[in-house]
Amino acid sequence: MSSRGTVRLEHPERCIGCYNCVFACSLELFGTISATRTAISMKPCSPGDRFVVTFCSGCSDPPCVKVCELKALQQDKDGKLKLVSECDKCETFDCSKACITDTLPIDARTHKPILCTQCGKCAEVCPHEVITYKETGNEQESRQSALHRLR
Amino acid sequence: MSKNLDKVLYIDLGERKYEVAERPELFERFLGGSGLAIELLLQECLKGIDPYAPENPIVLAPGPLGGLFPSAGKTVATFKSPLTGDLGESHAGGRLAPCMRMAGYGALVIRNSADTPALLEISGEGVTFGDASPLTGFSSLEVERRLRACAAVAKIQSIVSIGPAGENGVSYACVNVDRYNYFGRLGLGAVFGSKKLKAISIVGSGSIDVPDPELYKKTFKELYAEVVETDKMAKYHFTGTPANVLVLNEIKALPTKNFQQGSFECAEEISGETLGEKWLDRKVSCPLCPIGCMHIARLRPSFASGYEYEPIDVYNNYESIYALGSNLCMKTAEEVLRLIHRANILGVDTMLVGNVLGWATEAFEKGHITKKHTAGVAPKWGDTEAYLTMMDNIASMTNEFYAKLAKGVEKAAEAYGGEEFAMALGGNGLAGYYTGYASVLGTIVAGRHSHNSNAGYDIDQKMLHQTVKPKQIIDSLVKENEWRYVLTSLVICLFARRVYTDEKVVEALRAVGIERSVKDLEKLGAEIYKSAFQFKLREGFSFDKVKIPRRVFESPTANGRLDEAVFKNMLKEYIETEFKS
Repeated sequence: MSSRGTVRLEHPERCIGCYNCVFACSLELFGTISATRTAISMKPCSPGDRFVVTFCSGCSDPPCVKVCELKALQQDKDGKLKLVSECDKCETFDCSKACITDTLPIDARTHKPILCTQCGKCAEVCPHEVITYKETGNEQESRQSALHRLR
Repeated sequence: MSKNLDKVLYIDLGERKYEVAERPELFERFLGGSGLAIELLLQECLKGIDPYAPENPIVLAPGPLGGLFPSAGKTVATFKSPLTGDLGESHAGGRLAPCMRMAGYGALVIRNSADTPALLEISGEGVTFGDASPLTGFSSLEVERRLRACAAVAKIQSIVSIGPAGENGVSYACVNVDRYNYFGRLGLGAVFGSKKLKAISIVGSGSIDVPDPELYKKTFKELYAEVVETDKMAKYHFTGTPANVLVLNEIKALPTKNFQQGSFECAEEISGETLGEKWLDRKVSCPLCPIGCMHIARLRPSFASGYEYEPIDVYNNYESIYALGSNLCMKTAEEVLRLIHRANILGVDTMLVGNVLGWATEAFEKGHITKKHTAGVAPKWGDTEAYLTMMDNIASMTNEFYAKLAKGVEKAAEAYGGEEFAMALGGNGLAGYYTGYASVLGTIVAGRHSHNSNAGYDIDQKMLHQTVKPKQIIDSLVKENEWRYVLTSLVICLFARRVYTDEKVVEALRAVGIERSVKDLEKLGAEIYKSAFQFKLREGFSFDKVKIPRRVFESPTANGRLDEAVFKNMLKEYIETEFKS
């Protein structure tokens, strides 16, 4: 799905651990419900018993892109990662290992990295604006977050 | 039907072996949750066994909607109850249901007992039998923290464990799921303990596939909107279930002083509103539920001078607040939270231990028991320290008296007297709705003697404003008893019952490839209710033997004093309506 916006980790401390973002992502990317086939990682975390949500931060000089010997992984000008050529011959998974935030998992079935497509489906179901979605060049949120719908 | 729902994982703790069996016929017939778990219990549990014997099985079953739809991810446990000696059926949320399904199992059956403390590690790859000796004696809160820290790679993991009360066999010990959820009443924790099963970790590394992703997306969107955009679940999201404190106090249905009163002068102090304003730290959700009904309070008791505080989070809900609050005349929220936290640390059910402490306080006042029994403790209403000590003594059964208290209020009263104020029905402690006929009748005729099996309290609350005939009460209880077994077979959280109307349930099932009409489902609900009673009757339950404490007919409910003759007639009529064939 193409999109002209970016997802942001806006209020990570508000997370209630509902996993809606995680599963919305796996559904969008793979048409299945999974906590592993997804570009979002959710970890219940000690100490403090809080939830840590992470996903691709769109680094300005991404190490994952730099280490890809096949030059399959590239970043566009919005910061979004994309696969520009076949990467399934790779046996090293260097991109995933290079990710400093540990948010570039390798899909066990396709053997390719799972890329955040910045589609914003995760933000749509987040009840507390932990994740938000903003259209490029538009400060208004383009999708109504569930927080404002919550009654 | 989703193919990963056909498999039952059978684990033998004694032999340290497991097998996965495909049993599509079972899932086709019972769908999952309560229906499936009760059927598996009937198959697995030999008639008349001791609930503490290795032969008592533990069955865990998520449902076909688990991990797929909002507010529909609970797991049902069945076992023979050490508390009542008949049906043990308990439900819990947390990450258990999606983890089981993502590991590829539609149900789990645990047979036999381990010789040494056991830790089961379950994933899609199978089962590892680990040593839980290092975890022995620790609370579930600590066990959860340790196991979670060890499994940092897991993307979604569920941790199920017992505390010291379960290890020691307290008949109302509970099982903790992911820190803030419990298989609470009826004593599953004691069954874990008798099997030397300290903890289970389940990692959901796989996926749940749906047959038609587009239909699924559409249905999910509609249900999600129903959950967040309507007021159908608002109560659970904002104040949480503790909102009931003031509502029930207002109508004089808030059990106070072991049911001597229906209202409490300090209700405001222990209300959901006070907790929300002064004590609430955050809310937590089960997977796919945006509600966040689990309200976590923050306590910071000082343990030394120099600003030394222990940060403690306490999951609290209405039933815990009634049982360890108004029921014991606790005057402040802080004291109630301290009692709830101690119950959680020990791993005893908050409602049942509150029941027992209420009875013990009154029995002590009336001279049925003395300091000789209580090992020097003089329980009195509102005495936090006495109650904390007594809970510790119950969990470790320090003497004969506390060992009796560890068997529940009915057994304690049989031994020491005061049966007229032993507030249990069918062996299970009463819930915090002292509303009237329908609530009491509903508890007796429920498969698990629980208020939320049929919501008698709801009918009673209606009766405050309109006339409801006994026949209507009975019809409503029959209908709810059966329909709720449909919901808990899927397994829809009962907090979401108004979202999941019968049409919505049919749509949700269709979206995961299961075609059932409302009529089909109603028939299934009736069948499951009958199966529950088939097990109960087989294990010696009988309506004639249900003890009803005198206080039920003496202390006024929200609908006034209940007339024994009227009540007995209603019970008779219910039995005739439901069980005539």
